[in-house]
Amino acid sequence: MNSQKTSIRDVLYEPPGPRTQKIITAITAVSLVALAALMAAVIRLFYINGQLDAKYWTLFTRFTTWRFIGQGLMGTLRAAAGAGVITFALGMAMMLCRISRYRLARAVGTALVEFTRGVPTLLFIYFFFLIVPQLGFTLSAYWKITLPVAISASGVVAEVLRSGVNAVPRGQSEAALSLGMRERSVFFKIVFPQAFRYVIPSMISELVIVLKDTTFAYVVTYADLMQNAKALISNYDALLSVYLVVAVIYILINYILNRISTALSERGKQR
Amino acid sequence: MSVGTLLSQYGDKYLLALLTTWRLTFFAFLIAFAVGVVITVVRICPIRPLRLFGDFYVQIFRNIPGAALLILLVYAFPYIGMLWSYYTCVLIACSLIPSAFCSEYLMAGMNTIQVGQIEAARSLGMTFFQLVKNLVLPQALRTSVLQLTNLLVGTMLTTALASQVPMSSTDLTGIVSYINTHAVGGITAFAISAVLYCATALVIGCVGSWIDKKVRILR
Repeated sequence: MNSQKTSIRDVLYEPPGPRTQKIITAITAVSLVALAALMAAVIRLFYINGQLDAKYWTLFTRFTTWRFIGQGLMGTLRAAAGAGVITFALGMAMMLCRISRYRLARAVGTALVEFTRGVPTLLFIYFFFLIVPQLGFTLSAYWKITLPVAISASGVVAEVLRSGVNAVPRGQSEAALSLGMRERSVFFKIVFPQAFRYVIPSMISELVIVLKDTTFAYVVTYADLMQNAKALISNYDALLSVYLVVAVIYILINYILNRISTALSERGKQR
Repeated sequence: MSVGTLLSQYGDKYLLALLTTWRLTFFAFLIAFAVGVVITVVRICPIRPLRLFGDFYVQIFRNIPGAALLILLVYAFPYIGMLWSYYTCVLIACSLIPSAFCSEYLMAGMNTIQVGQIEAARSLGMTFFQLVKNLVLPQALRTSVLQLTNLLVGTMLTTALASQVPMSSTDLTGIVSYINTHAVGGITAFAISAVLYCATALVIGCVGSWIDKKVRILR
């Protein structure tokens, strides 16, 4: 038996016999009809409310619409990339605290991780949006969205990195130490490069969370995909269609990122 | 503003906000869990179209940003004749997204069951539903307690979406923006909410690991 790719999904039932085959075919047909009916009901709902009218959808045939959506998407990606870099730096710092040999550093690291994991992104955004200006700092809209998103993801990134570090066999660092390497270079030259390779898939999943959180950019009026969608809506008076298309764009991007993450982790397992 | 003055002025509002967050979290998690279990059964059943539908459902709600889903529910759905209260919209958004993750965790938990057990059950003549009910789901649930705990915390964090719509009693995130637009609450207003969130998350985490120790399957 090739147990290589056997998932639980494949072993739950035998190849069905003739009678079961018939039952399965029947239920499959019924379920197909039911799903088709569901689709039809949704389309009908759109139709009777006039949401299939050409005026709501022709805007998507124009180049300017897509250019505007593209600009918004660039804003989203810029924010996500910036937040991704910051969150990695913060997560790295917290992880180093948590594995430090000093008790105080470990306590601080643990507290920071628990704090950032326990507070919602929106609360951090309100902190940077409402409270930081009160303290006398003026930040641009870009930083008002990237900093809170980065901070709120950093705790999880720290834990992911730490799990990677723990997954590197102890013998590796013991061998390096016995060769006379300093502890710092053991960590950065031997342990961390391997740990990082373990956690690349999880890091990409974390990027999905960061990208999702940047949708709150409208709170601080940063021109991201959501914000540009609002402008399109007031231009063309087409709310439902624009928000649907935008949601699909987000779903597709995140889906692709998740697929990359799964593919990389499968490849990692095969080694 | 000091904690004392802030709490004497807004203490009752904070209590209401805390209760709103807890209530939303509780109901959203219940719905998410129930839907997650059903979707998981659908994803492993022998009917191919249903399986694909289950996968599709999970991919949609796993990948849609919470804000986008809430905006669709609140502002776009009335255009197709579905006008719900703000609370309902928030509850739906906060249940659908965790339900997809719940199903993913259960699927992962399921994959830790040894194939031999399933084969043994099948050779005893169990039907699909007997097998799912007696073998697959219990084990999947017991192995994914910690992940479900994280999911509960995640659901709590998702309920911050409630601050984005004008509900009658706002949640712990909304109250920070409420206080800061009515008076200068400063960092204290933020800190109180943050502490309440973190405390809730810590309690959930502790209870979760206690349950996990009780029911974990030692292999």
